[in-house]
Order: sequence, then C-alpha cells, then structure tokens
Amino acid sequence: MSDTVLHRPATLHAALELLADNPDAHAIAGGVSLVAIINAQLLAPTALVSLRGIGELEGIRATPDGGIAIGAMTRHRAVAAEARLRGPLGCVSEAARSIASPPVRNMGTIGGSISLGDPGADLPPALVAVDATIEIANARRTRRLSAREFFVDWYTTALEPGELVTAVRLPASESGTACYEKLVRVAGDICIASVALSVSSSGTARAALGGCGPAPVFSDEADALLSRGLGDAASVQAAGAALGRVAKPMDDVRGSADYRRMLIPRMLARAAARAFAQLERAA
Amino acid sequence: MSVGRRLPRVDAREKTDGRARYIGDVERPGMLHAAILGSGCAHAIIEGYDLTEALAAPGVRAIVTGDDCPDARMGAFIKDEHAIAKGKVRYVGEPVAAVAADTLAQAQAACRLIQVRYRDLAAVLTPTEALAPGACILHEDVAAYEKVFDAGSHGNLCSRTSYAEGDVDASWPECDLVLEDWFEAHAQAHVALEPVGALAEVDANGRVTLWSANQSVFRVQANVCESLDLPMSRLRCLTPRIGGGFGNKMEAHVQPITVMLALKSGRPVRLILTRPDDFEMVRVRHPARVRVKTGAKRDGTLVAREVEVILDGGAYADDSPGVLSFMLRMCSGPYRFRAVKAHGKVVYTNKLRSGAFRGFGQPQVQFGCEQHVDEIAKRIGMDPFDLRRRNQKQAGEHWFGGQDVRSCGLAQCMDAAERASGWRNRRRGGKADEGRLRGMGMAVTAHISATLATGAIVRMLEDGSIVLNTGATDIGQGSDTVLGQICAAALRLDPRDIAIAGPDTDGSPYNWGTTASRVTYTTGRSVQAAARDVERQAKEQAAEILECSIDDLELREGGAVGIAGVPGKQVTFRDISRRAHWRRGGPIIGRHSWVFDKPSIDPKRAVAIGNPSNAAGVFSFGAVVVEVEVDTVTGKTRVLRAWSAVDVGKAINPAAVEGQIEGAFVQGMGYALVEELVWDGGRLANPTLMDYKIPTFRDTPYDIETIIVEAPEPDAPFGAKGAGEIGINVVAAAIANAVTDATGVRFTKLPLSSERVLRALLSAPADKGGR
Amino acid sequence: MSIACRLNVNGAIQSVEVDGAETLLTTLRERLALLGAKRGCDQGVCGACTVLMDGMPVRACLSLAANCADSPLTTIEALNRDALGRDLQHAFVELGAVQCGFCTSGMLLTAYALLRDNPSAELDDVREALSGNLCRCSGYRKIIDAVLHVARPRGS
Repeated sequence: MSDTVLHRPATLHAALELLADNPDAHAIAGGVSLVAIINAQLLAPTALVSLRGIGELEGIRATPDGGIAIGAMTRHRAVAAEARLRGPLGCVSEAARSIASPPVRNMGTIGGSISLGDPGADLPPALVAVDATIEIANARRTRRLSAREFFVDWYTTALEPGELVTAVRLPASESGTACYEKLVRVAGDICIASVALSVSSSGTARAALGGCGPAPVFSDEADALLSRGLGDAASVQAAGAALGRVAKPMDDVRGSADYRRMLIPRMLARAAARAFAQLERAA
Repeated sequence: MSVGRRLPRVDAREKTDGRARYIGDVERPGMLHAAILGSGCAHAIIEGYDLTEALAAPGVRAIVTGDDCPDARMGAFIKDEHAIAKGKVRYVGEPVAAVAADTLAQAQAACRLIQVRYRDLAAVLTPTEALAPGACILHEDVAAYEKVFDAGSHGNLCSRTSYAEGDVDASWPECDLVLEDWFEAHAQAHVALEPVGALAEVDANGRVTLWSANQSVFRVQANVCESLDLPMSRLRCLTPRIGGGFGNKMEAHVQPITVMLALKSGRPVRLILTRPDDFEMVRVRHPARVRVKTGAKRDGTLVAREVEVILDGGAYADDSPGVLSFMLRMCSGPYRFRAVKAHGKVVYTNKLRSGAFRGFGQPQVQFGCEQHVDEIAKRIGMDPFDLRRRNQKQAGEHWFGGQDVRSCGLAQCMDAAERASGWRNRRRGGKADEGRLRGMGMAVTAHISATLATGAIVRMLEDGSIVLNTGATDIGQGSDTVLGQICAAALRLDPRDIAIAGPDTDGSPYNWGTTASRVTYTTGRSVQAAARDVERQAKEQAAEILECSIDDLELREGGAVGIAGVPGKQVTFRDISRRAHWRRGGPIIGRHSWVFDKPSIDPKRAVAIGNPSNAAGVFSFGAVVVEVEVDTVTGKTRVLRAWSAVDVGKAINPAAVEGQIEGAFVQGMGYALVEELVWDGGRLANPTLMDYKIPTFRDTPYDIETIIVEAPEPDAPFGAKGAGEIGINVVAAAIANAVTDATGVRFTKLPLSSERVLRALLSAPADKGGR
Repeated sequence: MSIACRLNVNGAIQSVEVDGAETLLTTLRERLALLGAKRGCDQGVCGACTVLMDGMPVRACLSLAANCADSPLTTIEALNRDALGRDLQHAFVELGAVQCGFCTSGMLLTAYALLRDNPSAELDDVREALSGNLCRCSGYRKIIDAVLHVARPRGS
C-alpha cells in the first residue's frame, strides 16, 4: 500500500493518457467498491487514477435529442434525486435510491458502479430496461454501446483496458411509467433478485432482471408479451416464463438459484401490477 | 435515591464526544502491530513451518507459531485448547501463526509469506459425521484432558449431560396428546460492532500487562496463564471501553497470541482482528438439533416433556458443556410438568468453535419447546396465554432439577404483554391483503442471573469520597452505572460522587465475568454488602466522634453519619475518613465476596449425569408477543410490532433495562429471520458484513414496547435480577408462532428466511395462503 | 509513495504525508489522533467510521485521504462546537441511546447532517437517513427517540 501512486488528473484526456501509459493502473471513481477491495487485501494496486473533480465527467444534462446524459462521476445520491428521471425513466432513480445506504450513495458513482459488472447491482438492470447507451472513451477514441451489450459476464463488462465510461445516456422518453422491485434480506443489501420495468404510455414495455445471472437478464420475447398485455395475467406469466428460460441464477449466500427461479415470475407480476396501476392512475 | 432512576450512564458523555478509548485506540510507545495467519485446512497435521521469507520481510520483528507455546491447554470446562494451533489444525481459520511488525500492512504482508506444511486429515463437518464409526478424531487425547466435571468425553464426543425428574416414560400413556418433533436451530455470529483485539506489553521484570476487549479480565488472566504456563501473578489484565460482547469476548480470543508476540519481540504488540477474521476465528452460537417431545391432557395440563439436544460444538469445547447443560435445565420452560427428561451431547466438528452467545442455548431450545406449547393450545382449542397460565411456575415452587423459585413475575409479564398487545382483540388467523398475511404469536421464558464468584471493594478516600472496585467489565450494558447506583443508594450519596475503578486483575476483586446476566444480581449484592461494611465502619468512627451508641446512628444524604432524630448532630464522611486515616481505626475499606452456591440439582428430586456446574442462579421471567407480516409473493417476513414484558426483580436503571430488552429483541429478530452463517465445506462463505446481515433501522419496527415487571428476589440488591439475556430467548419462538398464525404453516428450521417461508407457503394448502 | 496532503479537518488545515491508497480513516486515527471514527468492518457497511465531508455523511474507510484535500471534513470531536451537535449529544446521553458506544460517533454525525438539512425530520426520515449505521446493542429505538427529541415538529 505504501507503494501506491495516486494520480489526480484535472481533465478526462489526462486521465485517459495516464491509463494508456500505465496498464497496471486502476481508475478510481467514488471508491466504494475499489477501496473495499483494497482494504480486504484482494488488490494492491501500484497506481490509481482518480477521476474526482474532472468536470467533463460530472453533471446531469439534457441532450439535443431530448434525452438525458448522466456524467460517469455523478453520485448515486444525485441520480436518486433527479426529477427528470421520471415516467419510463423512473426505474433508474428508483434503482439508485435502493443502493446500499445514504453515505455510500453520497460517494458511489454511476460510472464506477456499472464498470464493476456486479451481477447483483441495481443500476444495470434499470439501464437495460430503459435502453440506455453507455458512452466510453480511451486515449484514442470514443464509442457507444447499448446497456444490453455493455454488461457481459460476472464482473466483466465490454470495457477494454484503458477505457472509461464517460457518461450514460438515456433516450428521450414519452410519458409512461417504470418501477424497480428489489428483494433483499435487509435494507441496503445486494439484491436476492430484482426487476426493472419501463413502460411507455404507447405500450412499449421492457423488463430486465438483476441478481438472476452473470449480467442483467432480458428477453425480447418477454418484452413483447409485456408490451401486449401489461395488465393481463396470462401475458405477464408468459413473460415471466420467458425470462426464466434465459436467466442463469446461481446459488450464493443470499439465496439459491432455485429460489431465484421461483421469484422471477412472481416479482415480475408484482412489478407489472404496480406499473399497470401507476399508468391507470396517470390516465 | 438513585435506585430506580433513569440516570444517564457514567460513560455516555465520553462516547458522544468520541473520546471513549477502546482497544483499537490504546497505544503504547514502541508498539508493534500484529496480524494472524489462519489455517486454510479444516483438519490437518502441521508438519512444519517455513518462516524464512516472512522473517526477512520488511518491518517484521517477531513471528510465533505453535512451536512457541508450551503444551499446555486452556478451556472453561474441558482444557482442550492451546494458545495457538499446535501440532494440528482443527478448523478453517484457526490461528496458525502470527506476525508482529512495525506496521499492520507489513504484518499482513508477512503472514502471506509464511509457509505451513499440512498433512490433510479427513474433516468431519456435522455431529452425525463426527460420531459415525471410523470418523476422524479431532482430539485424540480428549480422555486425558483436564476437565472440571465428569464430561464423558471420548472420540468426537466432547461432553454429555442428562437430567431427569419424575418418570417421563410412564407419563406418556397418561397424555391425551403427545407431540414429538426435531427442530434445527442454526449458528449466529455475534457481530459486536467492535472486532476483538488485545495489546500486550512486557516490563523490565518480565511481567506482562495485557489490555483487551473482554467480558472478564479474570477469564483473560486464566486463559492466558493456563495456555502459556505463566503464574497468574505475572500477568496483569486491564480493560479499555468495550464495543459490545454478547458472549464473543467472554473466553479467550487473540489474547494468548498477543502475549506470545510481546514476549518474543520484547516490544508492546497490538493485535486487532479484521472483521473477516473476527467472523472466522473466534466463536459462534451453537448450531443445534433438538428433539422435543411434549405430552398434555385434553384440559390443557402439561404432563411430560423430553428434550434431546445435539450441539455442534465446533473444534474446541469452549463454553459448550455449559451451554448444553443450561439448555437442558431450561427446557422445561416455566411450567409445572410432572416429569421432565433432558439429555444431550456436544460433538466436536472441524468448524469454528461454538461458544457463549446471549441466551446461552435458550433461543435454540425454546424455538422448539414454545412452538410445542403453542401447538398444543391450538389443537385443544385453548388460548396460548391461558394454556401457559394453567401450567405456570409460581414463587415457592421449584425449577426442573430442584432449585427453589423464590420470586416469579411470570403472571404479571403475561398479563402485561397480553394487555399491551391487544391480544384478545387480534384478528384471528391471517389477513390476506395485496399478498401479505399478518399474524400474532407469543412465547414465555425464564432465565437465570448469578453464578460463580464475585466481590466488591468500596474504599473511602481521605476526603470522604468513594471508589468502587468490582472487577466487573461494562461491555456496554451499563453495569458501571448500575453498580454505582447501588453503591450510591446504599451510602445515600449521589451516584456522580462514586468513582468506578476499571477492572484490573491486580487491584480488583475476582469477578467471574459479564455473562449469564449475572452482574446486577451477583456483583450488585457484593456492592451492597461492601457498602454496608463501609457504613458499619463509618458508624463506628462516628460513634466515637459523637460519643454515642452505634445503634443511635443513621446515614444521611450527601455523605454523613448523624444521630437519628437529632438533625444538627452529624459528622461528614470527610471528617470520618480523616480521623480513620490519621488518628484511629485505619482507612475505611468495605469488602465482600461470595460465590453463588444454591445447587441447581437436588439429588432427592432429580438425577443428573455429567452436570458441569451445580449452581446456576436466581430466576427471571418474560413474555413476548409479536405481530408479523408475511409477503406471500417473496416469503419475506417482517415484524410489525413487539411487546416484551420482563420480570427483572427491580429495575435499578429502567432505561438500561429497556436498552437491553430492545437490543436483545432485535438481535433475536435477526437470528429468526435474516442472520445465517453459510458454510462451504469447512469454510465460512460469508465472513463479512456485506454477506452476513443484521437488521438495520429500516428492518426494525419502532414499536418495540418494553414492559418492566418487578417481582423482587430475596437477598438481591433492592430485589434486582438480571436482564441482559432474557430478552432474546423466545423471540425466534414467538416469531415462529406468529408466522404459523399468519400462514398455518409450522417451521421446524431456522432461520425463517424468505426462501424457507416461500417454499413452505407453496407446499401449504391453498386456503392458508399457499399457491 | 507518500503524498503531501492538506486536509481541512474540523476547520483546521492539517498537513500530512499519506500513502497513495491510505484511507481517510487510517489518516484520522493514526496521523491526526482523531480516534472517534472507528473501524468496524473496513468495507463501508457498519457505519462506525462515518464522518462528514462537505457536510455529507461518507465512509472514512472507503475514502482515500489524498482525495479529500478539497473538502471540509467534520469528525465527532468537533460536534460539540455546534448547538445542534450539543443538543444531539445531550439527547443521546439523557435518553439512553448510548450503550457500548462504538456506533455512536457515526450515528451522531449522520443524525446531525439529517437535522441540519431537515430540522423537522420524522420517524421514517430518521430511519432512512440512519439506515447505513448499524447498532447491535440498542435495537435502534432509543437512538430514534433521541434524534426525534431534538427534531423540531413541523410548524413550530
């Protein structure tokens, strides 16, 4: 630990250059995951590149196409409180509100969180459900990836060495609703399972599951069924079955894979009922 | 009068200022930092160590292994444990080596460089495996180990105990209803917010001073000296502030190893366990399998009970024989059974040792016993409270085994809990509402407070002010405050004028420890008696000063002795003490010591085999009611409201009693619903707070009502009995009864996790919420 | 590799040399003799290390000291300089909200930030704001009572 160099670049470009020049360096955002790993002696980095204070990575702003861009260093607390994340985007702020605890939400960032690729994290399924786009940069170029493509496997994202998430873009949303259902042992826990559901008032519905596989679980077949009949028990049940077919839950200390399979249709039904009721109230 | 008042704790101010000093805050000049290497094997012979790389690592000053400790063993009941693994390892995480270095990081890095050559042995991970013929034996020399009682140890059987009163076998045929079930209760981690730690320093004469997070400086002294073959006079044990114990800090943890490092390095050494090490290395609540058989008559008379307990003791005996015997003695519950038979065993397994944890076996055994009583009530159509009232223990009766019950507030506890909870008007059965079912459940309990030895020294300083020294460790439950209140009341002083001396094996009278809910009753009694001794000596002085008979004298408020009925005639403690110091009599030192010796087994009434200690304590009683809500979509259960009525004899400090009952309730709720240690073979899979969860603010109902009942205990200080543990005993049982009320399903396994509850609901009949 | 760092702690600038990956908790306890923040898990879960950074509760065990240079830090040792802080400390003491005390530093600072931002906080506000502070002794009840005791009811 006494060998760790901490770089504090002032610009994104400087940060990317440092990462390009130091393949062993780790980027540190809020630190809530990385420092915990260092404290547990699971990692002894020789160099850290702090992203704190890099203006280009901060802030939530409207984009020209009517969407929202959330800078990678935006804290969960700000995402949780963001009024513009309403309607079909509401599952993103609801997911952020459910992360860990208030002090951790004061520190953790959206970029840091999704870069970890934690299969039990809250933002990934919400971002998949709203069809978010992840903006990525390295020292030479930028690129974009859909959320669906970004989360690949256990603690594995599509990020290549030297790349950073710079922003998360949410599409322009019409009216609609969303919800994030999360089952935990205690408040602030990593989920046993979670369901993110985003519905536009024109009827398009998208669902994604957390904690039910190495990456968020989603299914076009399930989305089609939900879009056709959010308030129809048979459609919702069929959607749950469709998600169950592609889910790959594991046994872990929070629950068994079998339990998660039991939960998927049940929690989806609850999410659908909630979303349906929310739409009815708004109508 | 300070007794009965909600006085702020004497240590609260420093804690709110952030100035309380715990073991992690204590420093000594030249101090080294230490880390422990735990075994990666569940069961193996240690063939050798290669310390070369580790010794050469930066900052390393000393490394100790089993080669550095004598072949001497410690243990509260069975002396089966070395200071550090010696010759073999018996559980994953068992300390195998320890390093003292200039910095913690250096010590941790050096640990990773230590090489240990293991020869793997077959590991037994359950009592069944351990007792199977041909099973690999953990303690080959168990028969030769020193023991404090007839444990019957052989093979992997650590100890066995049985008690019987009346003839259960003859009683079953007379019962209209006999229930028999196996129940499984799981392990629990204490999760005191402060991990364990110690700091040892050797002086120029080779005498060791040892600070540690502990529940008893005297148990620390005994364990360190026994395991390191040191005379007790060579070790002085002290106590900083303690960040919670719950049983984790009662027996040895890292103290012997820390002393070894200090002796070897010649420098002060501080060793604080990381949270994962605290989970993996120290101790847990006993996993238990309990067979309960209960027989009753159709009119609700409880006739007979038999309990068989199999405790998974883990790799070392620790307090296991005590836990077993206590569970067995308490398995009758506070009822008048005609016949009770209780027997069981502690089995060694290659897992982390099980040991003392609040309740000392009661949460596990009552989970089954109180569900049986409830089930009987259900089947005969009697209200659960009424059934218990029909059979309740009363003062003047005796407990299972023969000990007299001299005070009993059980009836008042039940009345209070029943009334406060609105039990009679509760909704019967469950109420399905948006997929949520509600139910209410109750359970009753008794506990003991007392046991073993304690003392008190009350000194009057030259100016008349008072120092109280009891050797009792305040682990956060408030004993310093309560004992000060007792002393102040006895001497008619303001408690703020009583100085409380910290526990110190050099200067304090022996105190077995802060455990078994014993301090208020046992030590409080000594404090009261020592204060009376001071009163007597002060009156002797005053009689000479005032030239009167000692019988004419009374204590006055604020530290004075005067002639009764003559307000002007008095002499202050100050003047008395001056005279005592400089002229006549000698400094006033009040003292008392005693050992609780009321036998718990009366051989005329009961037969006992393998009884580890024949004196337990005086009885407290309690009744718990809970209201729960079960989410039928996920199985997740939460407690909405709770009522806990406890007979504590006399609440010396009602706020402190409430704090104990509230905290015990939530710890019991965590045990019942969400806390679960997960084993992956012999390895603990969730030794972190990320993975092992305790209730947070949001998981805990605000509406936990504590009702204090006072049925004074004779010979107790102001009638007071203990309150530290009783609040946890039947929380799991009451919650289980409530969930049964809500869902119609009975649970024989803990915890009632959301997974377990959902599975049970899905296999239940549809009209009961099953789907 | 040591980094020269100027930390603003309790209103005073402290110059310290810290290691690159050194946590704020280590710096406070080992270099600045501010022992009130406690190490309970080193993982950001228990809350015993909670301090205020820019007035917001954060985990000192997960903060890199060298990254805290620009932000005013408040630890428990300074709480009694402020009337609200003193009121909270007094309420904790008087209402029996302190048992072993290991959670108390973090609990008080978090409660302080809550009431400073929301003086009329109610039961659910308190439970939410403190949900990241674990207590094993108290069952939470008296801590809630102490915080609500200091909170000013709406409209008063």
